Amino acid sequence: MNPALLEVKDLSIHFGGLRAVDGVNFAVNRGEILGLLGPNGAGKTVTFNLISGVYKPTSGEIWFNGKRINGLPSYAIAALGLGRTFQIVKPFSTLTVLENVLVARGITRYPAPSCLWTSWKSRQEAQAAMALLDRVGLADLAQRKAGLLPLGNLRRLEIARALAVGHKLLLLDESFSGLRHEEISQLEALIRTIQQAGITVLLIEHNMRVSMALCDRIVVMEYGKKLAEGTPAVIQQDERVIEAYLGRKGESDAS
Amino acid sequence: MSSYAITILTLIVIQAIVVCGLNVIVGYAGQISLGHAAFFGIGAYSAALLSTRGGLSFWIALPLVLIISALTGLLLGLPSLRLKHDFLAITTIGINFIVQAIFLYVPFFGGALGISGIPRIQVFGEALKGAHFLYLCLVFLGLVMAICWLFTRVFAGLACFALREEEAAATSMGISPVRFKLLAFMLGTVFAGLGGALYAHYMRFVSADDFSFPLSVSFLAMLVLGGMGSLLGPLVGALILGALPELFRPLAEFRILFYALMLLLMIRFQPGGILGESSLIRKRLFPLFLRRQP
Repeated sequence: MNPALLEVKDLSIHFGGLRAVDGVNFAVNRGEILGLLGPNGAGKTVTFNLISGVYKPTSGEIWFNGKRINGLPSYAIAALGLGRTFQIVKPFSTLTVLENVLVARGITRYPAPSCLWTSWKSRQEAQAAMALLDRVGLADLAQRKAGLLPLGNLRRLEIARALAVGHKLLLLDESFSGLRHEEISQLEALIRTIQQAGITVLLIEHNMRVSMALCDRIVVMEYGKKLAEGTPAVIQQDERVIEAYLGRKGESDAS
Repeated sequence: MSSYAITILTLIVIQAIVVCGLNVIVGYAGQISLGHAAFFGIGAYSAALLSTRGGLSFWIALPLVLIISALTGLLLGLPSLRLKHDFLAITTIGINFIVQAIFLYVPFFGGALGISGIPRIQVFGEALKGAHFLYLCLVFLGLVMAICWLFTRVFAGLACFALREEEAAATSMGISPVRFKLLAFMLGTVFAGLGGALYAHYMRFVSADDFSFPLSVSFLAMLVLGGMGSLLGPLVGALILGALPELFRPLAEFRILFYALMLLLMIRFQPGGILGESSLIRKRLFPLFLRRQP
């Protein structure tokens, strides 16, 4: 079997004259946590949007699990087992936490037309969803309206939803941003358990400490291009990466 | 009950059926529609034509009317539902005007004269009128509300709620936005068509003016007043907005003022509607009668 679960080949998207993503190549191997790093505006979230089908690439190919997915609509890509979270959390606010997970569970399990007569109020559904909430540590809040949860819990809810769908690959877009210290370590542990469950993770992250500790490999982007790729140890020593983040040695321009 | 009260009530119940349909589209799936009167009209004209020129009885024509309503809902929903927010609102307004214009200008639909001579509905060989017709409408309203209730409890309904709340997140889980919005839209147009068929057989005359844009606005106002997304909201909204103009009749010119004042007060203080998510009645009154679910 191909070790790569996701392959991005020569991927580009141009918005008018802006080459937001410009000829990027990388692969995500089965079972690993791959970090996508880079300064603001490097094209990380655009890459996520390309992979998940929100944007159609100008050129290039995206292969997921042996299938070419570029050009497919978002929901079809998701149905193949590729899930994502969002930089700005998107809970189903007026639904309860439990219902948020039930939607995610139901939609792949009961495709049309059985979704027309399968009730989501059954005990088995609730139990399965509760088990997932337990796993991410939200079981106590199951009956709360999702819109009332603080950010840390919402991030975990997004992961619970993604797990409920049964994705093979999870794209996490800055799941750690805006979290408190202890929330960060809880989420870190959660992502590790996701990996142990056999789910491959591709994450965008700004927090250096977290990404160095969590990722098996890292891809660094700058100005829409891939700058470097390798293990955290290699990336930390890479001159170009240090330059992209901190500026060149001897440069006094601090803007 | 006086025949005057029965007439008002019958019209209220018919409107409640139509607003239940609008509730599926707007309240459940979160898609604004300002053209619901068009589908009410399509149901009414289908029933009128099938019973007069087609010579079919109401009961044989009804399935056809519902199919026609569903198909036109599909046909008009398919392009419209790819749009969002204001664009969808404008498109649905456009649909209303186009459909009304077709009724008015295409000779097949009777033109400005409309269609008259629509027979009464027969049940066991007896023509329904007065209170009996009201009971029939109530039976249909009960049926429609039962379907709505069931819809909120199956996964397809839950998927619609998810789309209403966050389309991008729902899509990222594999929910096809077009498919589920269309489902809700078609269910909504079928209920509108049913209401239209009852209306045609009750008035026994239809004309294009009966299905104009202001009626769509009034349907939406009933829904917003009653509470979007709630099961009883459409009925409460139709009751209040249907009965108020009658109750305020002695106030003559001032009744429009009261009507507007009430809508403004609702929007300011109870934007979720009378039975909406965080309304006073739901928060203060319901807990007195219902134990909260664990």
